Amino acid sequence: MIEMLAKSGFQLLLLLLVAPLISGIIKTMKARLQTRCGPNVLQPYRDLFKLLRKGMVIPDTASWIFSAAPYIVFVTAALVGLMTPMTATDAPLSLFGGVLAVVYLLALGRFFLALSGLDTGSSFGGLGSSREMTISAIAEPAMMLAIFTVALGANSTNLSEMARSAVSQSWRFLAPSQMLAFAALFIVIIAETGRIPVDNPATHLELTMIHEAMILEYSGPYLALIEWGASIKQLVLMTLLVNTFFPFGLSSDWSVSGLGLGLSFYLLKLLLLACCIVLVETTNAKMRLFRVPELLAVAFILGALALISTFLF
Amino acid sequence: MSFIDDPQFGNTMITLMAALVLVLQIATVGQRWLITTIRIFAVQSFFLAAIAGTIAFFNQANHLYIAALLTLVLKAILLPFLLERTVERVGIRKEIEPLINVPLSLLISGCLTLVGYVVAESFYHPEETSAQSALGHNTLAVAIALFLIGFFMMLNRRKALTQVLGLLSMENGLFLAAISLTYGMPLVVELGIFFDVLVAVMVFGILAYRIGESFDSMDVSKLRSLRG
Repeated sequence: MIEMLAKSGFQLLLLLLVAPLISGIIKTMKARLQTRCGPNVLQPYRDLFKLLRKGMVIPDTASWIFSAAPYIVFVTAALVGLMTPMTATDAPLSLFGGVLAVVYLLALGRFFLALSGLDTGSSFGGLGSSREMTISAIAEPAMMLAIFTVALGANSTNLSEMARSAVSQSWRFLAPSQMLAFAALFIVIIAETGRIPVDNPATHLELTMIHEAMILEYSGPYLALIEWGASIKQLVLMTLLVNTFFPFGLSSDWSVSGLGLGLSFYLLKLLLLACCIVLVETTNAKMRLFRVPELLAVAFILGALALISTFLF
Repeated sequence: MSFIDDPQFGNTMITLMAALVLVLQIATVGQRWLITTIRIFAVQSFFLAAIAGTIAFFNQANHLYIAALLTLVLKAILLPFLLERTVERVGIRKEIEPLINVPLSLLISGCLTLVGYVVAESFYHPEETSAQSALGHNTLAVAIALFLIGFFMMLNRRKALTQVLGLLSMENGLFLAAISLTYGMPLVVELGIFFDVLVAVMVFGILAYRIGESFDSMDVSKLRSLRG
């Protein structure tokens, strides 16, 4: 029991600390690639710290959902983070459902965020919610297909089990089905984290914004919780991608030396993935909203082909 | 470097590259910009040349090196260059809405890939466990899928240039089927096909340019107005 608590504590600390750092790194690298100076890598920490100390304004029309949503978003993201293997193959929490629970806990957070966008009665929030739901309704099947492909390879939907089997078959990521699933999941992650071909994370002033439109009414600590939760969600999805497809350096136990090695490999892989995301964000323009389903249809077809080719190749 | 000599590793790489070729083919179906479509075709041809080179290396089929080199020079460099020049001259950079909308065409391409697998399944006899039959099973399905999707692209698109690209990717599918099943056709046939494709693209380029000149568009459905 104490061991499990210690593991959970360690991973929770890692989640809370690394998530804003990754957002900061992506922002800075993107700015540098566009020959801007860009904010400091540590800027997201400062933003969170500042927001947490501020007072907040709650609209008169808001109900309890408005106050509950930030906590739900934050807690579901952190819970999902505890269920994914980050530095060791054994995740601290594997109580129920495995990867299905991961997908639907994230969906629960998104559901409440969309509700809170509607809750204040502002038309902007409603627009954001409706768009978010449209996109996630198409992204979710693609994500499930890609994840099922990996789960089939491991004969289990338990994430620790999946990571263990990925470690034991080190060249498996070269199989076509894994590559297709990786591509599908990459597109889904771009869409889920609100990155550029789908949504612009760096704006508050666009008619086309999605995530920012939903959280427009939030301020102060609630906004900090939502932003922090969003960056944790992004970190968890990236972790899912790097650790199930490229499991190099995942330690098989929780010893100190194994954890050190696992942690350094993990950060390296995250950095590489962040580079890919930055490249995609810089080389693409934002899509028209009605073109987004086309991108997600590509992800869906790739996921379906991945699942089919597990049986055929 | 022991895995360099391992035929199993060769098969893995070939299957992987075949899957990439298929992914690129599906990407062209969802693509609107003509230049991007041409570049995707160039990358696809590059992978095709790499597959030919890998098969030649692992099966000591030396004449396949020539086919690989020809594919690289002609289809990955020369043809894309010619096509891009045509696009520059005509000045039309974007495909209008295809006949069937993009998500549906992507779904259809997925189904066509399935058809490819079903057809290739009947050529597969697991009791003959030679390396060649296993290789053929994996890549033949991709080859048939390439052929079908290329054909679908020719039907679905209205621009003369994308139809040419559909034809070229059909030819890529044929080439893939030939090299994976029989380690390539005789060199004379191979050369003939390459020359054929080259001339075809040049003629198509001129034709597309003429259509663009006379109709201010590359929409082939406008050719109907030529009827007397």
